[in-house]
Amino acid sequence: MIHHAEIIQVNDLRKSYGDLKAVDGVSFSVSAGEVFGILGPNGAGKTTTVEILEGMRAQDSGSAIVNGIDVQKDPRAVKKVIGIQLQSSAFFDRLSLTEILDVMASLYHRKIDALELLREVELDDRAGALFKELSGGQKQRFSVASTLVNDPILLFLDEPTTGLDPQARRHMWALVQRFKSEGRTVLLTTHYMEEAEELCDRVAIMDHGKIVAMDRPAALVDSLLSKGFKKERTEKLANLEDVFLDITGRELRDE
Amino acid sequence: MLRQLFQTNPTLSLTKASMRIWFRDRQAIFWTFFLPLVLISVFGLLDFGAFRTVDLGIVDRANNDASQKLIADVRALGTFDISDDLSEEEEREALLDGDRNLLLIIEPGFGEGQSPAQRRVTVIYNQGEPQESAAGQTIIQHLLDKITFAEGNISDRYKIDASPVDSRNLRFIDFLMPGVVAMSIMQMGLFSVAFSFVQLKSRGVLRRLKATPVLPASFIFAQVFTRLTISILQTLVLVGLAVLAFDVHLEGNLGVMVLLALLGGGVFISMGFAVSGWAGTEDVAAPVANAIALPMMFLSGVFFPRDAMPEPLRAVADFLPLSYLADALRNVAVDGASLWSQWENVLGLTVWLVVTFFIAVRLFRWE
Repeated sequence: MIHHAEIIQVNDLRKSYGDLKAVDGVSFSVSAGEVFGILGPNGAGKTTTVEILEGMRAQDSGSAIVNGIDVQKDPRAVKKVIGIQLQSSAFFDRLSLTEILDVMASLYHRKIDALELLREVELDDRAGALFKELSGGQKQRFSVASTLVNDPILLFLDEPTTGLDPQARRHMWALVQRFKSEGRTVLLTTHYMEEAEELCDRVAIMDHGKIVAMDRPAALVDSLLSKGFKKERTEKLANLEDVFLDITGRELRDE
Repeated sequence: MLRQLFQTNPTLSLTKASMRIWFRDRQAIFWTFFLPLVLISVFGLLDFGAFRTVDLGIVDRANNDASQKLIADVRALGTFDISDDLSEEEEREALLDGDRNLLLIIEPGFGEGQSPAQRRVTVIYNQGEPQESAAGQTIIQHLLDKITFAEGNISDRYKIDASPVDSRNLRFIDFLMPGVVAMSIMQMGLFSVAFSFVQLKSRGVLRRLKATPVLPASFIFAQVFTRLTISILQTLVLVGLAVLAFDVHLEGNLGVMVLLALLGGGVFISMGFAVSGWAGTEDVAAPVANAIALPMMFLSGVFFPRDAMPEPLRAVADFLPLSYLADALRNVAVDGASLWSQWENVLGLTVWLVVTFFIAVRLFRWE
């Protein structure tokens, strides 16, 4: 497999729904092995942008190249090498977690060790359970596991920690860091800033369908400070979330 | 090798999954197998009497050798449901109550001499059921002729040839069973596809599949294959129960019935896809599917013959897909008709298949 230095290249991407310009001239590129974040308030165009890259939706104009493949021309070829975690994932009823993963793998003509994959996301003890029996955090982890069945070189995670408690969120962060250490590229969307700071090598901030800023998180903070910005209250060395985690521990709560 | 293929081929693996999902769905199994089985059992156990069986009451006033021979001959035919252990008064009462088609009274001295009174039986018949009554009279007359004819030659007297009247006892369950099979195939195709597909769509399972390189055809094949398999199973289970437990006589070829079940299944599965393509949620799909299924259940001659309907209604009902399927299955099961002789019903179903398939393709949406 050819690894392109720039695994994602987006050039002047546009997509409208009626009068609404959901994506309005977006350009960026992501290097192989990078964790790239797209930040923005709800309705900024994050999900639409990501869905065009995933081959789930066609753009009106502009180009999206993933792993050297024009997504619009051959979405199936792109889908073969990427993993997609949708914002709200659902799976077949009445199949156990391992059965679902086996089916998902077969869609890529692959056979996998489903139990091993579940172990990676700490769900091996729920192997025989149904998806609907899982807690919110477990569902999210299973959904991530389901994106790994084809050993993707590029993972799309759409708001992977929305609605999770602090323990589950940190667990998801650890997963993303592991994907990076395994050499996978990760593109994630989020509206949690601390998540972007923690995980992303670079972030793009989107608003009203446009990218309004793009850089390393630290560089973005520095440039704000250089404009003379000061928080009204000086930051303490810990915050309420640190207190919460100190009291309740970092162990996953899935009951 | 085969195992490997089922694990890594998307179409086969989706088919296996969709079979598993279906057979783990207790509700689906209930509606598909249990309910029709109950329906057949109820109509099989409660003998609604008789649909074209002739009920005959016999009162033997003669009580001699000749009368007993005649009664034995009538009994040996097996054509009648006979009652001969009640008093004349009780029998007349039963006839008036409509529990008999005919009452045969053998006059005293029957067969003992040559006078007309000694060679006569009285038959009182139920005017309200002219066909059964006429058939009964014909049979009895036929027996009497035999006796008359045989008096010169005693050895012939006890031999009775098969009745020239069609003496097959078509009970209600014989009529009902093929209809229930057709109806179950409709219910399964229409509801099982419409519901499960709308559910997969509204909950986002199809979207998750769309995020993989799987071809839509693989997924649809899996769904259709599963449902067609179940159509065959339904046919075998329902026919099997009717034959084994309720003594339904299967005249035709079971293989022909299975072929018809596949064709009918195809029509109703396409209809299910059309409904689910059009409806976004289960709340919409349910009433639409019911609006299609319910009128057909009552208009297509599943529970009673369409002859009973007023002519204008019948003209419409004759063209319903369930009518074609029920008629074809019934003709094969009851009359032993060949597939070829059912070409009109097969053509009707095929036209419906083309039409519903076209509509399903036009209305089909992944999201």
